[in-house]
Amino acid sequence: MAFVGKSLLAGVGVALVLALAVLLFAWSGLYNVAASQSHWALTRWFLDFGLRRSVATHSASITPPTLDDKNLVILGAGHFDAGCAPCHGAPGGHSDPIVDRMLPAPPELNRAASNWSTEQLFWIVKHGLKFTGMPAWVAQQRDDEVWAIVAFLRALPQMSASQYRMFAIGDPEARPNDGAEIARNGMTMEALTRCVRCHRGDAQPRSALVPRLAGQSRAYVERALRDFASGSRPSGIMEPIAVALDAAAITALSAYYAGAPSPTPSAQPIESNADQIARGKEIATEGVPESGVPPCLVCHGDTRAPSFPKLDGQYAPYIVGQIEIWKRGLRKKSGYGAIMGTIASRLTDEQARDVAAYFASVAAPTAERLERPIPPPRRGGPRAR
Amino acid sequence: MRDRQRSLRIARAAPACLLLAGCEGVQSTLAPTGPQAQHVAQLFWVMVAGSGAIVLVVTLLTAIALFASPRHRAFLAGDTVVLAGGLIFPVVTLSALLVYGLVMLGAGPGKMAASPVRIEVAGERWWWRVVYRDDAGSAVESANELRIPLGRAVEIELTSDNVIHSFWAPRLAGKLDMIPGRKTALTLSAEKAGVSRGQCAEYCGGAHALMAFDVVAMPLNEYDEWRLREFQPAQEPTTQETRAGKALFLSHGCGACHTIRGTPAAGRLGPDLTHVGGRTSIGAAILATDEASIARWITHNQDIKPGNLMPAFDIFSESELLALSRYLASLR
Repeated sequence: MAFVGKSLLAGVGVALVLALAVLLFAWSGLYNVAASQSHWALTRWFLDFGLRRSVATHSASITPPTLDDKNLVILGAGHFDAGCAPCHGAPGGHSDPIVDRMLPAPPELNRAASNWSTEQLFWIVKHGLKFTGMPAWVAQQRDDEVWAIVAFLRALPQMSASQYRMFAIGDPEARPNDGAEIARNGMTMEALTRCVRCHRGDAQPRSALVPRLAGQSRAYVERALRDFASGSRPSGIMEPIAVALDAAAITALSAYYAGAPSPTPSAQPIESNADQIARGKEIATEGVPESGVPPCLVCHGDTRAPSFPKLDGQYAPYIVGQIEIWKRGLRKKSGYGAIMGTIASRLTDEQARDVAAYFASVAAPTAERLERPIPPPRRGGPRAR
Repeated sequence: MRDRQRSLRIARAAPACLLLAGCEGVQSTLAPTGPQAQHVAQLFWVMVAGSGAIVLVVTLLTAIALFASPRHRAFLAGDTVVLAGGLIFPVVTLSALLVYGLVMLGAGPGKMAASPVRIEVAGERWWWRVVYRDDAGSAVESANELRIPLGRAVEIELTSDNVIHSFWAPRLAGKLDMIPGRKTALTLSAEKAGVSRGQCAEYCGGAHALMAFDVVAMPLNEYDEWRLREFQPAQEPTTQETRAGKALFLSHGCGACHTIRGTPAAGRLGPDLTHVGGRTSIGAAILATDEASIARWITHNQDIKPGNLMPAFDIFSESELLALSRYLASLR
């Protein structure tokens, strides 16, 4: 008994001395935190081991949705190019010497992503990693956006440089060759705030999860950008973009999109049949009185106030996705959002799909008329932050 | 000892206070303004008097049983007293009360005039849809307010297409349930002009407690004038501001749920607003009808009446909100 007591006392003593030693070591400042010096092999192994175990444990209960969807991949590509590629690199790009001196260096994801399971990638993109420089997703409630990034990361290893460029940026465009323009704006064509990357200018967005803005009313585009900037409309993709825009840029952008001719809907991006469209039209014109759903077109039709968005010709998956977000209560923080949030909560999933199919099938009317044509915003420009 | 006396005094005074409080107010069944409610009140007072007398007798008998001399106590235990007080008295009293109650309840509607004024009232969540019809069969809708002529029998047809509500205008009549899939009818009449208040008397969900209405009893000539106005479409706005208010109403989707007759707004989900400015209240008798209340209702109705089915429209600038509420208040 006395022996056990003595050993316990000795153990506590040793632990205390060790703890003091560690504290002393930290206090002395002898440990080198410089990123210019790599970790010891043992430290690297230990940190890597801990990180992998933490990610594996925390992502154990995640169930991924279907990610085999080109719309998700293209949406993910657009954000990746602006938000992730600056550190992680992209197919066909050159590594940034500044980023190369980060410790740990951000992995090149076309190779490194295959080291992680889909669930683990989701967890890392959503939550970020402490002490690595990897940030958490801006809008923590928007799992749907995080899944788009994961879908893209899953497709990335098979992507050629030209395919990547097509998905993330769009049609190849002439690079600046004028010395003066390069001197002023640099080579940075893929500025963070470049809208056309996902929304295009006057053509249909490539991803059906992205709203078309061409022909949308000025007041609505302005309001949407302000809501994103203030965080009252949460989005990890749009918030950083909207925050970087100043008031004049928001005004100019909304004028540009209001004046852009809206393209006629091309082939329907999702299968929809005449029955579904007819059911959707009934909801849009008559509402669903028994569940308190007013007719959509009173606010979204021709007599609407300009601050209400036009839905004609919008992609059905985009509309369904937004109704889903409203049902989850994510868009009700703004005054307008609170109105639609109430109505969306009364729509069944099937009614939401029907009404989305209807709006997707309607040809968009001509654009808002403007007093004078406003040129598209200047391409490139410094990365605002 | 003094303490006991004081508490006795308070105990004696308390029920009297309660009774007095109940007699006042726009929603008291003890202040009837029509014969149907008078019957209810009379029934109540007869019951109070009868049961009060019985309580006194029973208390007296209990006191005898506890404190009286053995001779008197033996008398209480005799067969005659047990038989008379325990069997014959309850049977006779309860039968008499039953007959009186049945006669009383049956007395009202049967004796009314043959051609009553007809009003349809539908229970909504959480307000009252009120429909008036003219002889030609055309109908106009109002909400949360019944206008009735003095001295005429009024037959109210009650329906609901959602949950069970109960129509109760305490100063005019008893309660009657509004049951989905059924039509029930209530006849009442008013003998005193003025505004009294009614309330949903059957729990019907979140905002049940704020589902009230006003009954405005008017002299016949005033009623006819009002009815003539009520059947007209809405007044056109006359000032620049109210014209702007009308435009806002139409462009901001209000017409998806509300009707204003004479404009494109033809929604049926919410109350008809054709003459909303002329009603005594808004929000199902919870706010006065004035510009400030209308503006507050538009922007903050979910704080005023949580869970009601109208979304809050907190999207207007100060001047827009003023124009819109001024327009609505002008719809008399």
